[in-house]
Amino acid sequence: MNPTERFWLMIFVLALGTWLMRALPIMLHGHVAHPPWLERLLKHVPVAALTALVVPGAVYLHQGDSYAFAPARLAASVAALVVALRTRNIFATLVVGMAALWLAQWAVGPI
Amino acid sequence: MSRRTHSMKAGFAEIAPILIGIAPFGLVAGAAVIQAGFGIAEAVGMSLFVNAGASQIVATTLFGQGAPLWLALATALVVNARMFIYSTSIAPVLAEAPAWLRPILGHMLVDQNYVSTMTKGRFREDVDIIPYYMGAWFGLAGVWQLSTIAGAVLGPFIPASWGLDFAVPLVFLAMLAPSLKDSTAVSVALVTGVASAVFVPLLPMQTGLIVAIVCGMAYGAWLDRPKAGDAR
Repeated sequence: MNPTERFWLMIFVLALGTWLMRALPIMLHGHVAHPPWLERLLKHVPVAALTALVVPGAVYLHQGDSYAFAPARLAASVAALVVALRTRNIFATLVVGMAALWLAQWAVGPI
Repeated sequence: MSRRTHSMKAGFAEIAPILIGIAPFGLVAGAAVIQAGFGIAEAVGMSLFVNAGASQIVATTLFGQGAPLWLALATALVVNARMFIYSTSIAPVLAEAPAWLRPILGHMLVDQNYVSTMTKGRFREDVDIIPYYMGAWFGLAGVWQLSTIAGAVLGPFIPASWGLDFAVPLVFLAMLAPSLKDSTAVSVALVTGVASAVFVPLLPMQTGLIVAIVCGMAYGAWLDRPKAGDAR
């Protein structure tokens, strides 16, 4: 399989898996009881998944296999976190985070 | 105007103010597909079929970094596992939908129309909730598709020195913030954050991501464990 075919395969499997998760409870509503243990188990998925997606990109500069500690990114992430917690606005968080990154890179040099 | 049209427009109108927040996210998702070495068709197809931004960016980025397919899929599906929780909680609200419509309503379930339907739409006397929910999705999906295409077209012209890849963790950060509403959530975030900072550079092929997520989930489940004396 060439990379484009592999990418399309990924798209379709991801689409199917995601659809099953988001559609099954709606489709089966009224037909089966949903087990409380499953809900308890999945309760922390959003926070855990999003945090794991934020932190490496907020702390390191990643190129190939190497991870370098990036103080400018960490500082910009802290600024963005403050804005995110106060405004809960994706757009404001993006603007402040990017501006803070450029400012920090200008102050401490590109890293 | 029929009640159905009115409801659909109301759903769209309620979602309109946050559409501007969707656009940068779509730009990043579209640009990521090009950066991974693919074209506009792949960007459009992914936004249409997957219809879940965070997982699209994760899967594309991991694929582009040379991670194995199973790992890109597993990580992206874990990211989307929250949809199962949404679906379970919104199911009673959409219970009047006929069987043929339910699979379509399922595909339409994304963060923003879930929140809009659950916190606003279902309390309104003047709308039917199913067309309202669909109207909100049409607005979201339209902007999502257009911004994905814009990202795919414009992405290659944006210089690397702008650090635009940093927009990806920023978007996730903005999505995370509203979830940090109690001490359990903050503890789960701290444990997951430390685990990901340690394991992601240490373990091969981004497997540290899954390890960190499992650490956070396990810690959260342990915090929520049934305690002696709880009524169960």
